[in-house]
Order: sequence, then structure tokens, then C-alpha cells
Amino acid sequence: MSLAAQAPRFRATVILTLFAMVAAPAALIIYQSFLSAPFFDESARLSLDAYDFILTDPEFYRALWTTTLYAVGMVVVAVPLGGLLAFLITRTDLKGRGWLEPLVLVPMFLSSIVLAFGYTVAIGPSGFVTIAFRSLFGSAPWSIYTLPGIILIGGLSHVPTVYLYVASAMRRLPSDLEEAARTAGASVWRVSIDVTLPMVLPALVFSAALNLLLGFETFGIPLVLGDPNGILVLTTYIYKVNTIFGAPTYQVMAAVTVFLILITLPLVFVQRRLLRHARRFAAVGGKGARTNLLKLGGTGQAIALSIIGLWLLVSVALPVGGVILRAFVENWGEGVRLSEQLTLANFQRVFELPSLSRGILNTILLAAIGGALAVAFYLLVGLAGHRNHGRTGTLLDYSVLLPRALPGLIVGLAFFWLFLFVPFLVPLRTTLFSLLIAYIIVGLSYGLRIIQATLLQVAPELEESARTAGATTFRTWRDVVIPLVRPGLAGAWAMIMIVFLREYATGVYLMGAGTEVIGSLMVSLLTSGAMDQIAALSFISILLTAIGLTLAMRLGAKIHD
Amino acid sequence: MTDLVVDNVQKWLGGLQILSGASFTAEKGRIVALLGASGSGKTTLLRCIAGLEQPEIGVIRIGGTTVLDDKGKVALPPEQRQIGLVFQSYALWPHRTVFENVAYGLKLRKASATDIKTRVEAILEKLGLGHLAARYPDQLSGGQQQRVAICRALVYEPKVLLLDEPLSNLDAKLREEARFWIRKLILDLKICAIMVTHDQAEALAIADQVLLLKGGSIVQSGTPLDIYSRPETFYAADFMGTNNVLSGRLVGTPGGDAAIDCAGLSLPGTWKDRAAPADPDAVRAVIRMEAISVSPEPSAGSASFDVEGCIYLGEKWEYRLKRGDLRLRAQGHEPLSAAVAHCRIPASATWLYNP
Amino acid sequence: MIDRRQFMLASAASVGALAGSLPARAEGVPAGYPADYKAILDKARTEGVVSVYTSTDDVQGRPIVEAFQKAYPGIRVDYNDLGTNGAYNRIISEAAAKQVGSDVVWTSAMDLQMVLVQKGLAEAYKSPEMSHLPGWANFSDTLYGTTVEPVGILYNKAQLASLKLPQTRAELLAFMRDNKEALKGKLATFDPEKSGTGFLFFSNDARTRPDTFELVKAFGATEGKTYGSSGAMREKIVSGEHWLAFNVIGSYAIEWAAKNPALGYVLTSDYTAAFSRVANLSKGAPHPNAARLFLDFLLSAAGQSALASAGAPSIRTDVTSGLNLTRLGEMAKGNLKPIPVTAALLEATEPKNRADFFRRWKEALRG
Repeated sequence: MSLAAQAPRFRATVILTLFAMVAAPAALIIYQSFLSAPFFDESARLSLDAYDFILTDPEFYRALWTTTLYAVGMVVVAVPLGGLLAFLITRTDLKGRGWLEPLVLVPMFLSSIVLAFGYTVAIGPSGFVTIAFRSLFGSAPWSIYTLPGIILIGGLSHVPTVYLYVASAMRRLPSDLEEAARTAGASVWRVSIDVTLPMVLPALVFSAALNLLLGFETFGIPLVLGDPNGILVLTTYIYKVNTIFGAPTYQVMAAVTVFLILITLPLVFVQRRLLRHARRFAAVGGKGARTNLLKLGGTGQAIALSIIGLWLLVSVALPVGGVILRAFVENWGEGVRLSEQLTLANFQRVFELPSLSRGILNTILLAAIGGALAVAFYLLVGLAGHRNHGRTGTLLDYSVLLPRALPGLIVGLAFFWLFLFVPFLVPLRTTLFSLLIAYIIVGLSYGLRIIQATLLQVAPELEESARTAGATTFRTWRDVVIPLVRPGLAGAWAMIMIVFLREYATGVYLMGAGTEVIGSLMVSLLTSGAMDQIAALSFISILLTAIGLTLAMRLGAKIHD
Repeated sequence: MTDLVVDNVQKWLGGLQILSGASFTAEKGRIVALLGASGSGKTTLLRCIAGLEQPEIGVIRIGGTTVLDDKGKVALPPEQRQIGLVFQSYALWPHRTVFENVAYGLKLRKASATDIKTRVEAILEKLGLGHLAARYPDQLSGGQQQRVAICRALVYEPKVLLLDEPLSNLDAKLREEARFWIRKLILDLKICAIMVTHDQAEALAIADQVLLLKGGSIVQSGTPLDIYSRPETFYAADFMGTNNVLSGRLVGTPGGDAAIDCAGLSLPGTWKDRAAPADPDAVRAVIRMEAISVSPEPSAGSASFDVEGCIYLGEKWEYRLKRGDLRLRAQGHEPLSAAVAHCRIPASATWLYNP
Repeated sequence: MIDRRQFMLASAASVGALAGSLPARAEGVPAGYPADYKAILDKARTEGVVSVYTSTDDVQGRPIVEAFQKAYPGIRVDYNDLGTNGAYNRIISEAAAKQVGSDVVWTSAMDLQMVLVQKGLAEAYKSPEMSHLPGWANFSDTLYGTTVEPVGILYNKAQLASLKLPQTRAELLAFMRDNKEALKGKLATFDPEKSGTGFLFFSNDARTRPDTFELVKAFGATEGKTYGSSGAMREKIVSGEHWLAFNVIGSYAIEWAAKNPALGYVLTSDYTAAFSRVANLSKGAPHPNAARLFLDFLLSAAGQSALASAGAPSIRTDVTSGLNLTRLGEMAKGNLKPIPVTAALLEATEPKNRADFFRRWKEALRG
């Protein structure tokens, strides 16, 4: 058969494989939710018991309500602040915005379990800062273990996601639209409200929808900070429901997940719509992309820098500083002099314990090599979907969206079962490939977006000229598209690496001896309360992320889409 | 009354001076064109007037108000300058209808709703856009968008209307129409307008006064007729029109029997440069293409040239002529059939300049 | 202050030396073991690996693993800390998929492991060490108690300096009632909803002590906080966020107090419950002989010494490094009440009983 005819077949193969990888865990979870016992149990039969249980469990409603409050609260905190930061950094002559930009994104790259742990040790009731503050002023008037505290922290840590979308919308906004308003007689702030804000509104709404989604699926922050006061959200309810029963209650976990999907799936579709709409909206307007920065003036500079400084202090300096300090001490508290407590014992122990040191190695392997494999896979998927307007293109779109609606914890659990019960997958279970496959699915929509953005940078004419010169679709990809996107792929690799480094939920149920990863080890160490090791691992995780980020910058990774 | 005074405006970008002391004035009911090649600083000058760029040195007064004075430390922001600016891209706000786009300036000036309605409708009607008021910009054609942009800049009666390459995004036919109606509109409204363009034909057709810019300073300023027919520097002469440029040696005196020797041919000419000859061995001659008369037969004072080719341009023919190393472009109404043609170049049309 | 790590290394080394001397006697068969044990030993060496599913974290499990590997070089230990529920869930999932991955199951969830036995997922095996164990620590030659770990109180000395420290359960109750205001938010305990260990402690208390829910009620009245692990409570006591935690794993408390002068512990003298980490062999274990070797080693004097030195007191009376059953009995003034390894553990796991317990727990907490 001719090469030309192979492209559709290649596309169909890749897309159907992807669809199977995405649909299998989702289907398994949905099926499990309608059973009376674990699906592998002989006594399992079709039943609505699980739904019956959660719908009559006041804890579930409380968790649902808390989750809703959390998600909405997060949006209320993150969207205005993220929008403001994006405006200040992209549209004004704010001093130092060049180096502020990467700094503003830092919370996004840290695993939320590390962040949350950092907050407990920094500003928890007996955190370093709290104690210092109390000794200076008598009392520390905050509590991070309350729902408002958790919401605030969740919101602050999600500012970068908003920033990213709004900043890129602002960069795309041609400056003459703003200048036209100024020459018509509008002041700087008037222009911001009358022109800039409406023009980036789609991006704001999109990031609000995204944050709402992330809020519903949030796990790390409530897991750590909600624990002392028994504040449960849906994901931690899933995680804890096991213990409440004292036996595996997979059907209940699955039923809660189905609820979560029912909430998140519509959000995913809203996002998809908004994204399409936003693109069309931004395409209109002038072509003059020369940005003219709004002058802030002395007072403006001071206010803007204080806002950013305060936010950075709370969102980056406090948790990261907390982790770093805690990693080097074993004892602290009121009346303990920290300088006398400095020790490397926490790290020594981590490196002595085979599972923890293996976890560090595995995390690096999974991020570096696994990240490269993931990029290769996303590239295959990206090519299969590249300028593919057929029916498989639509199937691809939905396959990419579905995992967005599933929490990583559950994807990990579903893959654990798949690797256990699907014969040809069995040999992979005890290898890092099991985690890699789950990670690829969890990171799918993010990774694919990076790849697609890179692919779209190749002007259609370049491909069309290759086709008219006689190249098949394959040859065009090989000779034109891939060479042109190669630099972009290196950046994509670095970004995926960071995503894999910070992942923690997926491995919770999936990892076993030999396949430990840092993030999930921290979740399991939380159950036994081994805070010394958690601190050391958090520190190592921050260090690895910093290395990954440096690498990403070197490779010219596009953080903005 | 002088509505716009620009005095010695200088601006640097990094270490590079992009405006080196531009000065001019403009009056109500007149159109000034800032003409120049790309990089000549014309757009920067316009943006300095608008307040979108900050020159380091200079004074700008609009309608009697000083909006910029480096010594008096005045630098009004754009919104306080009483100007209207039409962008090259039109910069229509995609989230507002045509009506809302145009009404915006009036809204900012706290006009009453009824006032806004009458004035916006009046100007839209005037420019033939009345039926499009409720549309969004992306539902308009390029020509309609341009007219909306002009309405938006004019509706609040600014002291000065600034136009940045207003015609460059239009089709050729539309552009010719627009030259005419834009000029008529501005004259009717008796406002002061400054237009930036790189297209000499556009500048000549629309403006009352043309400022030719080069490297951030004004090379020559004058009426379109002055600029086209009495250029005072080689740059100005060569920038305008379609020309033959010859390099050679000056013979005779600039005041009287000046001529240029080039490629073995001595052409009598007229010294037009505002400066005296700097180096007689290196002068340039500029001959407008239309100034050369070509005939198959020799006549008094004519020189013979080989015919390299004839190009049919519709309303005329262009001739490519050659004599030794000397090449000329000329035009006429008939094709040249013979291998040799005879050119007559009047001394008054052979303009001599320092290079 | 002895650095814990050095302490552990030192004890691990001494235990290793002790264990290392044992196999030399009868071609590797430990002293006192039947002669046919050699067959198990040889097969175990061929298997070369033993996979342990456990809830004992790596820090605490390390000495026993190292001691085992010294005693039986060439047999690798795959040590999986999965938590109590994690281990249980994984075992039943793997059993259903017919891909048993565990050889030995060794967790602190006495009740869950009893369920595994009941489900037929455990293999019976008469350990040669059986005679050294108390009778209550062996269920049908299948499930063995390997430690005896008291349930106790951990507190911050500085914060409690002005209050009279309770020494009995009765005093604890009075302490909470009398200092309700002063102790507001300052007390902590295990959360039976979040932790299987917490559930084991409180359900056992509820079964054996009539004042249990009185205690919970008084605790609730002080707005105390509940946690999923002893380590989490230690963190909060060290930092001064909480002053006192009760029903924590007392053997940990003893060790922490030895290491950190700011901390103190109490084993209540009128009643101190104790639980055991229990071990069984998996049915269909991939390495059945290495599994036996590991279980026997866990129960042996050498293994028990290693455990005790890592803070898990020995269930034997003849092991003297660290704490043992006898010593703990003295410390609890003769009122140490270990939870026996019997089918009675299943009672609490009955859904109806669980629901009943949690209903009462919540009622008491709310006051």
C-alpha cells in the first residue's frame, strides 16, 4: 500500500490507543461504582448501595459543600489577584518585571503537598513564623487549619495558573487598542477597565473555570491542612472513606469519583468552549503588536511592588522557607533556639532508607527519561491530531478532555487494577512503566497543549509546499514538521519533567516496592507522621524542581501558551 | 490660528537618536503630511504629538495649550491632549459595536446620552455608516472599518486629528477614493490634521503641506508642488517621483552654465541644491522620467541612445535606453520600433545636487 | 542525648553479630530448631528474596531487615510500607488477580489481619519459636503477635509544668474535666475514623473499659484535635501546639521522650492497653520458604532484639535489649492489658458494630 494511505491509519491507531488508555480506567471506575463489593470479589453484584451510602452520609454532603466553598473561594482569591499580577507585569513599566515573572510562577511548579507542608511548618499554630511573631507581639492572629485559611492558601497557590492565561491574553492584545482609548481621552485606569479588562475577559473566565475544576480535584492542600480539624473535601473523603469502613470500599470511592466527574466534566466542556471562543475573539483587532507600557509613576510602583512582594512572601517565601528550615532541624518550638538544632540527620535517614533513596532516584528517572518518553508519545498524538479535521480528530479531543475530569488519585487506583487484572499489562506492574503510563494520562491535556502549540507554530504553507513538492503526510512530518519543532520539544520535555516531578496523587495507590516516588512517599509518610523524612523529601523535591526549572529556562521552554 | 506647534522635538531610543530636532506648525483646516521612508521617524513624531511616546527634548503646543515642554517639565498624557488618532490598523475595539466605538470619546467627556446619540448618528450618517451602527467591527469591510475609525477620532471635535498611514490597509481603488473624501472631510470640518504616510502620491494628493523626513529630521517642508518640483536636496529630489539618477563631474558654475559630465556625455543642468557644490568631481543629477522627450528622429540638442526595450504600461510606454554605461528610463505614447532613439533633456529639468 | 540513628546502627550491629553467630552451629539451622529446618533454609536460599507487606515505616523496620540480612545473607528483603489499609487492600486485590506479591504480612492492624485469616488468605505454619511466645499471641498457628506496644500518653513538659500530670485513666478523666478551659485546643488523640490503629485502640477500650466514652466526651469538651498518626501528634507536641496526647503508641512516646528532653510520657498505672504488630504468611506466597524464615526470625531472640532496639518492645520475656513484655508489665504497675490475638478481634470489624462504635464516638465528641 502507498505511504500516503498510511497516514489515516497511523492517525486512527494512535488515537484509538489513546482512547483505550483513557477510557479503560474511567470505565472501570464507573463500573465499580455500581457494584456491591470490589469488582474482583466473588460476592460483587450490580447494586446502588454505594450511591445509597454516600447520599445518606452527612459526611459526604459536608465534604461536597466544603469542596464547593473551596473551589469557589479559590476562584475568588486567585482570579482577581492573578489578573492584577498579569496586568502589572505585562502592561505596565513595573520595575524588575523581567525577573519577577519566573518568580511569580514558582508556586505552580511546586507540588501542593510540599506547599501545604511548608505552610504548616511556617505559619501553622506552632510554625517558625508563628512562634517568632507570637514572641514579638504576644499572639499570632491567624489559623491556617480553618476552612478560610485553607481556601486562602489554595487560592494564593493557584494565582500562577490565572496569571499564565491572562498574561498571555494581555500579550496578544494589540497595544493600539489601548492607545486608541487613551487618545480618545481615557486615563490609564479607565483604559484598563474599558478596553483591557473586556479584551482579556475570556481568558479570565477560562482561568476561573480551570481553577474551579482544580478546586474540585484538589487533594494535597486539604489533605495536609484539613487534617487537624477534620475538614474533608471530596478527594480526601475518597482517600479516608476506606478507613471509616475499615475495609476496602472501592465501590464508595468509585461512586464519589463518579460524582466528581459529573461536576468536573461540564467544567471541562465549558473550558473547551471558552478556549475556542477566546481564540476567535483575540484574532480580531489590530495587528500592531508593539506593546506600549503604561507608566505607573512613583506611588504606583510602590503599591504594585508591595502587592507582588506580599503575595510572593506568602505564596513562595513562607512555604519554601518553612520547608528548608524544617529539613535541617529535628526539634523546634517555643524556647528552642534553632541555631543549636541545625542537623543533617533528616537527610542522612532519607538516604539510608532504601525505599526513600530509591524514591528519589525513581522520581528523577521518571521525570527525566519518562518525561522524554511522554513527550514522544504526546508528539505522536499531536501529529495524529495535527490538521486532522476528521472524525478521529473529534474522538481525540474528547480523549484528551476526559482525564482532566479524573483526580490523579483515582487514575492511579484504576491503573493499579488494570496492571493487576489485564494479562498483557501484568509484567509492567512492578516496573516504573506502570507509573509512567498513569502519569502520561494524568499529564495528557497539559502536555498535549504544549506540543500542539509547538506544532501550530509551523506555518501551514511550509507543510503545504512539502506536500505539493510530492511528499506524503509522513514525509512532511519527518522532513519539515519535526525538524522545525525540535527546539520546542526540548522545552516541552523540561516542562513535562517538572509536571512529573511534582506529581504525588497518582502514585499513592499505584507504587510498590521498587517503584516509589517522592510525592506519593510523602502522602504515605503523612499517615505514619514521619515529619522529619517528609521535610527532607520536600526539600529534595524543591531542589529537583529548581533544577528542572533552570533547565527549562535554558532550553527556552515556553511557559506561556 | 496655529493649532499645533512642534518645536525642536528630539527623542532617543537607547543610544540611538530617532528624532533630531523636528519643528513645524500646523493650522486649522489644513492637512500636514509627514512623509518619509520607513525608519525616518515619521510615526515616532506622530506618536510624540499624541503623547504615546515621550521625547527627551522639545516643546509641543496643541490648540494653545502646552502639552510638552522639557524645560517646563510638562508632559501631558495622551488623554489630556485633545487629539484624535486614527491608527493604521484602525484599532477598533472588537467588544464594542460601531456606535459604542464612536461614542466612547463622548462618553469620556461626559456628554449626555441624547447628545451622544445625535452626534454619533450625525457623523456616522455623514460618512455613510448610519446603517452599520449596531454592527461589531469584525462584521465590517476594511473600508467601513477605516471610516468608523475616523468617526471615532473626529466625533468629539479634537483640536488636532492625527492619522497614522490611514490608507495603507485599503485596496488600490478604495485608496484613491479615500484620498479625496478624507481631504474634503477635513477641509469641511476645518480641523487641523497631521497624517503620516510613506506613499508620496498619497501625501501629494491629500496634504496642504508636506514634511519630508529623513533620519529623524525634516529634510524639506513645503506645499506638494514645492516638494515635487523644487526639491532642495538630492534626497528630496530622489524620494519623490520616478527618476533617473546620474553621477558625474560638475562643469561650469552653479549660477549659470552648469552641466554634468557623465559617461562621456555632457548634460547642461541647473544647480538646485540649497548648498553650494562641495566636491565638483562628485555631483548627482536627478532627471524626472517624464522630463525626457524621446523621438525616433534626431533634433537640436538631442543625444542618441540604443533602445534596450519598451514596456507597455496601459496608458503609456516606458523606454529603457542605453548609451555606453549610461542608462535612462523615459516614457512616451508610442512604442519605439527602431534600434536607436533620440533624447532631449532640458537643462531646467536636469537638477544638480551634492550627493 | 543519643542520636537515634547511631543508637539504632549500634544495636543493629550488635544484633547482627549475635545472629551471625547462630547459623554456624548446625549447618545454618538456628539452635533449637528441628533438623528438617535445613530443607526450608536451603529452599529459601534458592528463592533468594522475601517480600514483606507492612505498616511499620522504614525507619523502624530497618533494624529487623538488616539483622535478617546479616543472619541470612543472600536473601533480599523487599520491604513495602503500605500502611495498614494499603497493605490490606493490596493483598485482597492481588489475591483476586491471582498474583500474590506478599510472602509475609506484618502490620499493626490486628483486626484487618484477622480478617485476612478469616478470608483464607493466610497460610498456617507452626513456628519453632512458638514456645517462647505467650499463648495469647498465637492464633491457630496462623497469626502471630510479634511485639507488645503499650498505649500511652505523650506530653510537653514545659507546657504542662503548672498542671498535675495524670498517672491513671481515672486521673486523666478528672484532669480533662477540671482543666477544661486551660486545656482548650491543647489535647490530642488518635482519630479512629482516620486510622486503623486509632480504631483498634478505642474499640478495644470501648469493649474493655466502661469509662471510655466518658473520656472521649471530656476530651471533646476541651475541643481537642484528632490525628491519623502518632508521628503527627508528636510534631504538634514538640512544637507546643498541643500539650498532651493520649492513646498514642506508648513505645514511641518512651523513645521520643528519651531523645527529646522537652517530652515526657506516661503509662497509666490502673490500665495500660497494648497492641501487637501481627504477622502471618500469605497463602500462595511466591517465596513460601523465605517467608517462613522471615517469620521465624521476627519471633526469634535475635529478631526480637532488633525490634526492641528500634522501639518495638519484645513480646518475649527473654529478650533484654530494649523493652520486653515483663519490663512493660512492671512499668504499667502490673496493669498491662495486651490485646489478645483472637477471633474476638473480628467483632469490631462487623459493619454493624463499627457503625455503632462510630455513632457513640461522634456523640461523645460532640458532648
